[in-house]
Amino acid sequence: MRRFILLTLTLVLLVATPGQALAHGFGQSQNLPLPFWLYLFAAAAVVLVSFVQISLFVTERHALPRYPRLDLLQLGSLRALLSARPFLFGLRLLSVALFVLVILSGILGAQAPSSNFAPTFVWIIWWVGLSFFTAFVGNIWPLVNPWKILFESAEEFARLLGIKRGLYLGAPYPASWGVWPALALYAVFVWVENVFEGSATPLNIALFALLYSMFTWSNMYFFGKETWLRRGEAFSVYFGVLAKFAPTEVRVSAPETCQDCGACRTAEQATKGACVNCYECFARATPEDRQLNLRPPAVGLTLTEQVTPDRMVFVVFLLASVTYDSLLGTPPWVELQTLTALPQTLGLIVVPLVFLGVYVGFVKLSQLFSEGYVTFGQLAAAYVYSLAPIAIAYLVAHYYTLLLVQGQAIIALLSDPFGWGWDLFGTADYTINPGLIGADSVWYSQVALIVAGHVVAVYLAHVASLRLVPSPRLQNRMQYPMLALMILYTVFSLWILSQPIVEKRNNETMPAETVSQPEPAEDADQFDQNLRQPPMPKPPTPSAP
Amino acid sequence: MNRVQSRNLVVVLITLIALLVLFFLLRPESSAPEEEEQVALAINGNTMSPEEVSVTEGTHVNLQITSDHPIEFHVHGYDLEEEVQPGEPVELMFEATTTGRFPIEDHDTEVELGTLIVQPR
Repeated sequence: MRRFILLTLTLVLLVATPGQALAHGFGQSQNLPLPFWLYLFAAAAVVLVSFVQISLFVTERHALPRYPRLDLLQLGSLRALLSARPFLFGLRLLSVALFVLVILSGILGAQAPSSNFAPTFVWIIWWVGLSFFTAFVGNIWPLVNPWKILFESAEEFARLLGIKRGLYLGAPYPASWGVWPALALYAVFVWVENVFEGSATPLNIALFALLYSMFTWSNMYFFGKETWLRRGEAFSVYFGVLAKFAPTEVRVSAPETCQDCGACRTAEQATKGACVNCYECFARATPEDRQLNLRPPAVGLTLTEQVTPDRMVFVVFLLASVTYDSLLGTPPWVELQTLTALPQTLGLIVVPLVFLGVYVGFVKLSQLFSEGYVTFGQLAAAYVYSLAPIAIAYLVAHYYTLLLVQGQAIIALLSDPFGWGWDLFGTADYTINPGLIGADSVWYSQVALIVAGHVVAVYLAHVASLRLVPSPRLQNRMQYPMLALMILYTVFSLWILSQPIVEKRNNETMPAETVSQPEPAEDADQFDQNLRQPPMPKPPTPSAP
Repeated sequence: MNRVQSRNLVVVLITLIALLVLFFLLRPESSAPEEEEQVALAINGNTMSPEEVSVTEGTHVNLQITSDHPIEFHVHGYDLEEEVQPGEPVELMFEATTTGRFPIEDHDTEVELGTLIVQPR
């Protein structure tokens, strides 16, 4: 036991070099790395729980999920609220107002990230907060997407001017493009978030938002609004994946509505006549045919029958990008980078490729175990969404304190969005309460979340196996490679959480070395020698004279 | 409840108990905080030495700060602020009540100098 503690302490005492490039674009999490004993416990728990789960599957076959649903629109008061025009209009107006505020404060406001509305709102409230909301409540992005709303308004205006077909040039969208444009844009976004040094600068945020707006609107104009939202608008596709996990869904009960919908009829939504989470059909359907269902969480991930290769790659990239952010801060990564002197940007290409390679490898293995009963393509498509719960659990474990603690900054920023000393709502003096959750509660909740995500993922993979092959013997065998992959991925997530955070200084990454706590006096002497040579190399270990 | 179901329930219960036992076996006893901890911090240019101040929750921390140039010494989260002039050591005392990682910076230039780490007990 004591050795564990000592090991933990040595890990914690790694020299972290502080710097300007902040973890996660903007705002540093105050999380402490998981102690080593807890990492060991969690890893053991993951392995134990996995095998118990598999043994339960052997004795108890779960029927394919025809999950229970509760239509919220059948509840009188909720229906009144959710279909009230003023309510929906208010939500959309609020979204557009926030979007405009981000751009205005970014351009006009004070440029220190902490005194400007844009960085905290975009990186913490919108990116982290809305991701959580989408996964745990439901997808409101199709309703509040400001690019969509503004484009629709422009279309209405164009119709008023007598342009009958609205803003649509009628260019055919090449089928082979699939969701690749969305993937490329999402990759750029992840690059800005994690690699780009100026991602917390308000002006950069405003400029990127404007650039993305221009690009989105011109493509909507070329290919049609709906087509681009489905295939090219990175955030629509991203939130669409998270929404599969959500405990709510939108569904259209009249199949005729979905008959000629381009989105439902393509591979992704072909869920045996059911029209689930197709926001175009939902918008088009008559109010009586609309359902807003409460459902068990994560069952949406089992719905997909066919996943095209482009979508599969998008999901794998999403899984990789969630991990990539924190991988950048781990000592082995920083060391690797110092040794190879490769640019961070390359990592953003290599990490997803490694993820894809590992995934493909395990799928291949699973196919071998199935004795050729299913094709590789079928398996690769069937299993990919089952990994999502692990990524979502990790996303929450990693970011929830950032949202709860650093997110509080938005209270003061709403009163003074430009950093000009305003106090619109009397909250400008609000200071963050850092003691909301103790570090040990954070550790335990992180482990609980990650183990829970793993359990759900293993269950989903089991459901996928049931769907693919009829023979129980093959079903069991096929599961093992996926189980191994999931254990690998989960334990890797835990490992990242247990790593001490190494930060960068002045764009130059530092190798991490284990040192014992230096004697302050001794260290100060060494510092005199190294005086004023920024970026400073790490002070030598105290063992040096 | 049929036989298979009750057997499975037993398996799940045993698993949970095994996990609990493992958890308490691995968990170290909580360490008592130092009553008071003195840390001398020397700031030279953009670096602080030591770069990390690591203490246990509940410790009464006594920072003795020296700097080679005038700075506005600032600890995030704890929101401590102290002006430090070259040649004039400054004493900063506080109770480490909140756990976590907190950046230490020069508030004038927003340059990060180091990190305060408060470990839970």
